Amino acid sequence: MIYLDNAATTMIKPLAVSRAVMKAMQTMASPGRGGHEPAMRAAKTVFDCRMEAAELFHVPSPEQIVFTMNATHGLNIAIHSLARKGTRVLVSGYEHNSVTRPLAALGAEIHVAQAPLFDSAAMLAAFEKQLPGMQLAVCTHVSNVFGYILPIYDIARLCREQGVPLIVDASQSAGVLEVDYERLGAAFIAMPGHKGLFGPQGTGILICAQPGSPLLSGGSGSDSIPQTMPDYLPDRLEAGTHNVCGIAGLREGIRYVRQSGLDSIYAHENTLLQAMVSELSGVEGLTLYSDHCRNQSGVLSLRSARLNCEEMAALLGERGVCVRAGLHCSPYAHRTAGTLDSGTVRFSFSPFNSLEDVTRSCQFIKDLL
Amino acid sequence: MQYLIMCRSLTWAQRSAALLERSGITASVVKAPQGLSTSGCGYAISIYRRFEEARNLLAKNNMINGKIFKRTDTGEYQEIG
Repeated sequence: MIYLDNAATTMIKPLAVSRAVMKAMQTMASPGRGGHEPAMRAAKTVFDCRMEAAELFHVPSPEQIVFTMNATHGLNIAIHSLARKGTRVLVSGYEHNSVTRPLAALGAEIHVAQAPLFDSAAMLAAFEKQLPGMQLAVCTHVSNVFGYILPIYDIARLCREQGVPLIVDASQSAGVLEVDYERLGAAFIAMPGHKGLFGPQGTGILICAQPGSPLLSGGSGSDSIPQTMPDYLPDRLEAGTHNVCGIAGLREGIRYVRQSGLDSIYAHENTLLQAMVSELSGVEGLTLYSDHCRNQSGVLSLRSARLNCEEMAALLGERGVCVRAGLHCSPYAHRTAGTLDSGTVRFSFSPFNSLEDVTRSCQFIKDLL
Repeated sequence: MQYLIMCRSLTWAQRSAALLERSGITASVVKAPQGLSTSGCGYAISIYRRFEEARNLLAKNNMINGKIFKRTDTGEYQEIG
């Protein structure tokens, strides 16, 4: 099997991740509830994971690391904390439904900063023009469809200058690119645990600059008498028992990322991306969405004039190549890039992929066409 | 002698204990005895040795946000800060 659907979930993880999950299942209870040894062991694991994440993302205090179910959960908390019906919100033209649907559900007034694919100067100009008068900005760091790396630090600077709070969707960048809380100065940064951080599915992190508004109320293991959620982090946003097994795995995943180094991970994925672009450039009837791999992470979308995207993905699947076709829950991005009618086939890499994976996949694609 | 420094959350208690451990002061995170917290369940850090040093270090790092108790010879908790 060649697994190239890492933008959805990094299925192949460091071995330490599954070991930690199993160990947690066998030895850990609920953190922040009992005071017995299995509960305190769980509490230590959760705290260690907060500390690892705080170090990786340059967050001053581990309290600001809130565990969520996934990035969507974190984005929903962030959006519900800062947006209401009629709130004027500026988003990029590359957002995922996990941003745009919660905004639409709230009845927020969504404005889109449009710019051509991979054109960061145009994206920045669009934000600069449209930010005045906005009450909130939400922006992805990397497009989940095209791997396009948006100029998030410059966008964050514009937001600070305009006094507009910013929510960053770091779903595709966490664990691959520098996500620096202090440099961004964002109100919230949401990310999954199960992609570039190599945690299990069902894990996510929301980095908070403010207490936010809870989506869920319930037990927090602290201040039990008042019938409102505590006003401090992380308890305020973490009602109910934690996903200790998942967090135990996530801790090991983050350790792997820190030990490997972001530069090394990005360089490896970019090498694979370049190899794939090089192999497939010039293949008749194939359109590749790439910018010479410059403003692009380890994600490549393509489409064929001969095969529709779902067909191509299914045929590759029959040959053991796992990719994702369609709209990738990102109609905004496909509309911006002009691929809404057909979707694309997306190949996404991880440090556990090799050049051979790329070469064999490219050969399969050529054979299909 | 045992001292308890009340913490507003488990994470805060863990962070406090970690800070003290880095300075070689042994501190453990414990569930606070009911009655010491006015708002229900809570956590504290328990310190047996180098208490004054620990308190100063936490204060210097703005890490004290709860009451401080000393356990007397009779097992009672006496508020000292």
